[in-house]
Amino acid sequence: MQLRLRLIVAALLACAALSLQSAVAAEKPLINPAPTPKDYADLGKLPDWSGVWNPNISDQDRQAKTNMPPYNDKAMDLIKFQLAEEKAGRPPPLFVNCLPEAHPSWMLITHNAMEILFTPGRVTMLGESDGNRLRRIYTDGRGHPEDPDPTYHGHSIGHWEGDTLVVDTVGIIPEALVAISEAAGVPNNGDMHVVERIYLKDPNRLHVELTVDAPKILTKPWKTTREFFRQRARKFDIVEGTCLDGGFASKIDERGNHVFVPIPLGVGGNRIAPQ
Amino acid sequence: MQSAIKRTLTAAAVLALAAAAWPVAAHHSTTMFDHAVTLTINGTVKEVHWTNPHVAIFVEGVIKPGDAPTVWLLEMTSPGNLVRAGGWSRNAVKPGDKVTVDMSPMRDGSKGGALKKITILDTGKFYTANIREQERANLEEEPAK
Repeated sequence: MQLRLRLIVAALLACAALSLQSAVAAEKPLINPAPTPKDYADLGKLPDWSGVWNPNISDQDRQAKTNMPPYNDKAMDLIKFQLAEEKAGRPPPLFVNCLPEAHPSWMLITHNAMEILFTPGRVTMLGESDGNRLRRIYTDGRGHPEDPDPTYHGHSIGHWEGDTLVVDTVGIIPEALVAISEAAGVPNNGDMHVVERIYLKDPNRLHVELTVDAPKILTKPWKTTREFFRQRARKFDIVEGTCLDGGFASKIDERGNHVFVPIPLGVGGNRIAPQ
Repeated sequence: MQSAIKRTLTAAAVLALAAAAWPVAAHHSTTMFDHAVTLTINGTVKEVHWTNPHVAIFVEGVIKPGDAPTVWLLEMTSPGNLVRAGGWSRNAVKPGDKVTVDMSPMRDGSKGGALKKITILDTGKFYTANIREQERANLEEEPAK
């Protein structure tokens, strides 16, 4: 009896100590430490992913036909409707609002190039246009936040398994599409989880294996791959691209100032012919 | 099922209205163009919009001799893709250039199309706009197979 009481008291004390500790931890801000010279030197041991990477679009097209996501019935209804509309020459305007394509569409259906930067504790993907804008992948060993604010590209953490970067992403906005083309895709509707394994398949081909788990619209996780080609010629260095530009014409006004003037666009996002 | 389709159609109509109402630009599919058809325009470049996500060139010209000249609106892929895939630059084609253009017309019959090839008559220099021509690494170093 005595022993039991002592054990209970000890357990209670331990609990109190733990909660005190976590309370202290909660108050203490997490600090990103300054990188050391060794951190910078260690980047040199990573595989060389420099250069400009442009997507294999023919392979995207092929996979839209041969490796359809396992959409549930409701999602498949929408995909069938969208594919029929596209076939009829009325492509559904999925990406015409110029918002970021979001993850995983950037990797799956982008037509734009990207570049990849390594810095201590981070891998950063920079796209060519707003459609494939920016991904921050934390490689400093942190986990995901408990309840991340949803964003277009979600919260990504990564680690290296040999020369393969393994990226785990959660916290993606529910509006982000699981798309097979620029004209066919379904909002993930929440709880999407994406895992990528990214590596060089040959010296100038970057290969991405994706597993997309979107339980609200898929019957099981979808496995697919994407490929990017490396360009080193300086003339292909990425130039800033702003999607909204396409909705304006550059004109000179009556005061001689260079100004943007809105131009009409069709439902599918294309400019409307003048007549 | 029926109501699901109805809802989908309503959603599509709402999206369509939204897209038509605001001058939002357009990262869009190209199936509004009839890619099975190629028409050739002879004319003069009026305007070049070297913009993302789609470059556009306005050409005043005719399909057949004797047609009344009209302005055709020709769209392409993005500047970055044109530089990599077709050897373009911002000044490759300029207003005033006399050109012939091969294009896939709009399916709705409006005076627009997807540009396939443009030839500048004074120099004979031509540019294509096939986004898939960049599908290999080190484009500058290895000749296309």
